[in-house]
Amino acid sequence: MKLGNRAASFIRKPHNLILVLLAVSLFFLTLVPLISLAWDTFLVHPSEVMTVKGTQPGDYTLFHWKKVFLSGLTSQNLFWTPLWNTVLTALASCLIAILLGGVLAWLVTRSDLRWKSFISVVFIFPYVLPSWTLAMAWINFFKNRLVGGATGLFTALTGIETPDWFAYGFFPIVIVQGLHYAPFAYILIGGILRNMDANLEEAATLLKASRFRILRRVTLPIVTPSVLSTFLLVFSSCMSSFAVPAFLGTPVRFQVLTTQLYRTLNGLNPGYGYIIALVMILMGTIILAANQWFVGTRKSFTTVTGKSSNISLVKLRLFRTPVSLVIVIFLALVSILPLLSFALESFIMAPGDYSVTNLTTVFWVGSGSVDIGGGEPGILLNKYIWIGLWNSIRLSLVVALVAGTVGGLAGYAIVRGRGTALTSFVSNLAFFPYLMPSMAFGAIYLSLFSKPVLFLPPLYGTFALLVMVGAVKYLPFASRAGTNAMLQLSGEIEEAGVMLGIPWWKRMVRIIFPIQKASFLSGYMLPFISCMRELALFVILIVPANRVLTTMLFQYNEKGWNQYANAINLLIVLVVLGFNWALNKATGASLDKGIGG
Amino acid sequence: MPSITLRVVTKRFGKFVAVDQVDLDIQDGAFVTLLGPSGCGKTTTLRMIAGLESPDEGEIIIDGKTVFSSERGIDVPPDKRDVGFLFQNYALWPHMTVEKNISFGIENLKWDSARIKARVAELLATLKIEQFSKRYPSELSGGQQQRVAIARTLATAPRVLLMDEPLSNLDAKLRTEMRTELKRLHVETGSTFVYVTHDQLEAMTLSTRTCLMKEGRVQQYAPPLEIYNEPANIFVADFVGNPTMNFIAGTVRSVDLDSIKIEAAAMSLSFTPGSGSVTLGEDQTVVLGVRPEYLRIGTGGAIGAMVYSTLPSGMETIVKIKVGEQFLTSVVFGAIDFLVNEAVSFDFIGNRCVLFDAESGRRLASGNLET
Repeated sequence: MKLGNRAASFIRKPHNLILVLLAVSLFFLTLVPLISLAWDTFLVHPSEVMTVKGTQPGDYTLFHWKKVFLSGLTSQNLFWTPLWNTVLTALASCLIAILLGGVLAWLVTRSDLRWKSFISVVFIFPYVLPSWTLAMAWINFFKNRLVGGATGLFTALTGIETPDWFAYGFFPIVIVQGLHYAPFAYILIGGILRNMDANLEEAATLLKASRFRILRRVTLPIVTPSVLSTFLLVFSSCMSSFAVPAFLGTPVRFQVLTTQLYRTLNGLNPGYGYIIALVMILMGTIILAANQWFVGTRKSFTTVTGKSSNISLVKLRLFRTPVSLVIVIFLALVSILPLLSFALESFIMAPGDYSVTNLTTVFWVGSGSVDIGGGEPGILLNKYIWIGLWNSIRLSLVVALVAGTVGGLAGYAIVRGRGTALTSFVSNLAFFPYLMPSMAFGAIYLSLFSKPVLFLPPLYGTFALLVMVGAVKYLPFASRAGTNAMLQLSGEIEEAGVMLGIPWWKRMVRIIFPIQKASFLSGYMLPFISCMRELALFVILIVPANRVLTTMLFQYNEKGWNQYANAINLLIVLVVLGFNWALNKATGASLDKGIGG
Repeated sequence: MPSITLRVVTKRFGKFVAVDQVDLDIQDGAFVTLLGPSGCGKTTTLRMIAGLESPDEGEIIIDGKTVFSSERGIDVPPDKRDVGFLFQNYALWPHMTVEKNISFGIENLKWDSARIKARVAELLATLKIEQFSKRYPSELSGGQQQRVAIARTLATAPRVLLMDEPLSNLDAKLRTEMRTELKRLHVETGSTFVYVTHDQLEAMTLSTRTCLMKEGRVQQYAPPLEIYNEPANIFVADFVGNPTMNFIAGTVRSVDLDSIKIEAAAMSLSFTPGSGSVTLGEDQTVVLGVRPEYLRIGTGGAIGAMVYSTLPSGMETIVKIKVGEQFLTSVVFGAIDFLVNEAVSFDFIGNRCVLFDAESGRRLASGNLET
């Protein structure tokens, strides 16, 4: 009886109810698929009956594990080399991202650099855009004869043939990923520098420490834990990136784990792919653990001050204009030029010929002829493109709505219920999908929901499955936003409502949400933007009926229909930038908020 | 021993004028407080002396050396000004131990390690924080952090010590204790102290001179008792003193040779200036300022009043009374408890009542007030 009373009073608190519901549903949406995936690696698949001799589909076997890890050259090509490539590219990309982002963050927050707000806005572009944008731009510029067809703009302009190592594989992947994630590092490190109490540096200045010494002994040690944490997050993002290595690595057979995963899942041996997915999830989890360990043991130096706005800026003196100019030129090259290249490429009839007579609008508004791209009409007249665009927007909206709402509630429940085991369980589960590589996450859902589960019919090929995988995958963004919003809000604000007898939903809708509107809205905005440009998550779950723009782009590119691909890419970029801009205007929330001054 | 001079210093943030043509002479060895409500420009003034902020116009001279001049284009960086700065939130480096925090500044002076060690030990002892030397700032209480911050600032023996509301984050008891210590440190170090505060009690008790500011301008710069007794204007009179001065609006009725008849709040009063002459016109509107201690409540007083409330605090009692529609406050030594609405009577005593011009707010004269 007493226990019953306690349970009843426990569940009567809204945050406990939310926690319990989340614990159960997240358990089924993240942990169960994971277990099922692991289970699957021990089963013989129908397509493998001939390879694994003397077995029936569904028999237990260690075949996959042996093949992936222990079979000499096969394992080397299938797993070990791609693993090594993944780690190397992720490490190198990370270094570039953090150096670039960190230096720029320091310049913008601590020096008298010119044109700060312009730099801050444009530098974010590569991150807002889909990750393959820069990869496609790289190909547009530096393509050589290796893949057949025409060479890129660079060769057309200079006559110099780019070497393979420069055009494809490790080098361009690292550069492109580094540039793509530099804004991410910039946002995180810039945020820390902006929030760091300027008095800490001023105190050192007054004690006659040199600029360099202040940087080395005061600024860097204080930002180190956060920089490490940034490093780990960028590393895990690079590790799970699929589009960039798929675009730039494939021509020279430079394989990483994600591209291997795609090959094996689309081939005859999904069992291999599931093992690769497990390895990636394991790496992600180790990174999460490492991150928490850093944040937990190193003292996190949160500094609270009301006066850091009047910080004195480092004068760059003679270098001020040159440095600012170099940065602006650099940004024009990486943020604006790629967009122009898509436009140019999509208007060219015969690839590689950049003369005026070769310009055409056939890939945009042509009615289609058999000798070009299999008779496809121009993309503005192609109803499948419009269906794809509609699917993309519809999917992103629903995903954002689900993820944003659930994430906001999760943030509320996590903050209100702080300190219990249930809360940290839910908090960790809600963050877990962030560490699961998108491709692996897609693989899990493919493995689990291609057959009936519990009360659910087979979901493979349905819109609902895409919504589900998207909502769970982007839940971490939303729950982080919700948690931060709630942490800034004193509990008394809500308690005042409780005392007046205002029901829970009304407190949420009329008190809590309006006060922290911007934070909660960013919990809707991030999933939306991410979903619009997502490829890896959907690429193996999509069927022709529910294609989205990104997967169509990927298919056109695989077929080598370069102009269509560029046109679609430009379309996606414009839609993403347009929505980003509209959301900024409508809500005032923005990714680079407050860094650019 | 350094003196500090500010010449028509102005600082703008966008359109907002934070400090407006401030002139200030701080003598060497002085303990000067910059006092005023928030947003009056006192912290900005301090940061400009330190070099953390550059003025838009004017000149700053420390120890005879011009450290800033807008005309001559001089702006000496903070580390070359030989000043110490104590921040409101202490600004202790969170990743260094107490010892490291203190030694960091001396290391920049390239002392040998034995000398550094000795100096750190000396400071730890002076500020009674030896037992915390290996701890990190986050493991200390507010008062302990404050001591570490002071030790760090004193380590390099700066001859000018600038302090930005250093005690405002401490509780009342610790604040009183640290005030005593700061006053001793001022004498022991012999340095020039410039101290920003919004607490008039701190300014009164600590400083040799107080500079009261409002909206970027200096209102009065004088020793604290002079400010208390002869406030330059109504704003100063109102800001300094607790409980605040009584203000009674009135009209001049007739001016004799040495006594002025004033009609105020249904009272007919006569004001006699203490010294010098005052020019007043008939029907000029004025404000009389009377500090609560110069209002004596008794039974044989000349004016009748009603008790509005009584606040005994042991050593003294604050009594608020009502004469017609005018509220007046009196401080009585010792504990008395009047009943609410009890009838009493009172007198004005002493010769430190102040007469202000109602229009400009400026002080016209001090003197005694009778019925």
